[in-house]
Amino acid sequence: MSAPAATRVLLDGVGKTFVDARSGARQRVLADFSLAVEPGELVAVVGASGTGKTTLLHIVAGLVQPDAGTVDVGSPRLGVVFQQPRLLDWLPVRQNVTLALEAAGLDPAAADDALAAVGLTDYAGSYPTVLSGGQRQRVAVARAFAVEPDLVLLDEPFSALDELTARKLRLLLQELWMQRQRTGLLVTHNPLEAALLADRVIVLAGRPARIAASYRVEAERPRSPEDPNLFDLHSRIVAAL
Amino acid sequence: MTATDVRPAPAAPAPASTAPRPRRRLRGGLPALAFLVLLCAAWQVMSALLDSVLVPGVPRIAAELVEIVVDGSFAEQLGITVLRVGLGFALAFVVAVAVGIAMGRSELARRFFEPAVLLGLTIPGLVWALLCVIWFGIELINPVAAVALSSAPALMLTIYQGTRSVDPDLLEMAHVYHFSRATRLRRLWLPALAPSLFAGARLGLSLGWKVIVLVEVFGMSSGVGYQLNNAFAAQNVAAVLAWTLLFAIVMAVLEYGVLQGLERRAGRWRKAVSV
Repeated sequence: MSAPAATRVLLDGVGKTFVDARSGARQRVLADFSLAVEPGELVAVVGASGTGKTTLLHIVAGLVQPDAGTVDVGSPRLGVVFQQPRLLDWLPVRQNVTLALEAAGLDPAAADDALAAVGLTDYAGSYPTVLSGGQRQRVAVARAFAVEPDLVLLDEPFSALDELTARKLRLLLQELWMQRQRTGLLVTHNPLEAALLADRVIVLAGRPARIAASYRVEAERPRSPEDPNLFDLHSRIVAAL
Repeated sequence: MTATDVRPAPAAPAPASTAPRPRRRLRGGLPALAFLVLLCAAWQVMSALLDSVLVPGVPRIAAELVEIVVDGSFAEQLGITVLRVGLGFALAFVVAVAVGIAMGRSELARRFFEPAVLLGLTIPGLVWALLCVIWFGIELINPVAAVALSSAPALMLTIYQGTRSVDPDLLEMAHVYHFSRATRLRRLWLPALAPSLFAGARLGLSLGWKVIVLVEVFGMSSGVGYQLNNAFAAQNVAAVLAWTLLFAIVMAVLEYGVLQGLERRAGRWRKAVSV
């Protein structure tokens, strides 16, 4: 768990077909798909709905088994932020974080620092049901980073939030990212979010999905959402979509 | 960072709003009290009109009731019966949680246990009582097994149906964060299943009470059912009614005092809705 990120994600020739339980229709989401995420790199996967972005992330997380190909991730400690916060509503905010810490074999006391980092110190003893959507998602971010993850997986983490809140959380995420080098995969349909946060942006298109375009983002962190260079990249991503 | 947060104050969940004020609770109990008073009055009128030893009046029943309580036999017999029901129910509960969750998680387990549940639901408690008396005689295992066998199927079904309402997203979350099996059970499954567990507990306990009386009538020499049988043999209708009433009171205390209290506790995280 030392400073340099060591986790590499290698997908080679991965294929996944879903079969609709009712109609029996087969949907080939991924076929012969390959992708490498280097240690310490944050790769954003951008694409329209239904292009297999989330499937890709679930395969890396081990939630979905591919039909073909190899997935080489090692056994990293995961920090995952889903589209919905996925908190245990019957436990106070702090305990939602300490459970993940205990499961990772870490000191549960670190939960308070993690909550402080996302500005939720005052809510540590509250139940998630009294928090706003943005606050709940912050708890999810705190939980993901509290476990000192080797690999961070972000599945459209801010798409369910209003734009202003999402913008704040993106900057918060950037801040957390800069504190320690990690390997990460961000799935999003927001090109600007991808350009702001990632080291590399790949655009998925078609079915089965293929990499339609790939861009390296050279800008130094911290980046600003107003950076004209990022906006330029954003336009190119949109064009590729 | 917190400038955009809509909620103004750190939220300490307001506990006061859910607990009814004593006065309101008193007023809430008035209709129930009215019913009971009316029932007693009607019974007394019927008893006076029929003028039969088989329909004793309210004072006669009350005297019997007081006697049973005062001479200590009620506490003693009730303790015996409650222990039997408690053990049987606990056994059924533990098995039903394991089987119910397994049925909800695995298609194979569901297909395997489904006939057992359906069969169990259709077998009358009376049959279990008879069989257990025949098999186990006067051992403690007799009433415990009878209560467990008659309440487990309903519990399993309720818990199985509850597992289908558990959010699969949370199971994925528990998977990626490598929650241990014990943590999953204690922090995810049991709280998520709480509404089903309470519904199941109510159903299971009521089935358990019914079958324990039968077992004690047929095969035991102690307990509330045995006393009922004694009173029946002596044609003491007042005693039969007194034992039944006391039993009902204990049930009510369990329901209102224990189960509802636990349920409130388990649901205190729920947002108070004011509309």
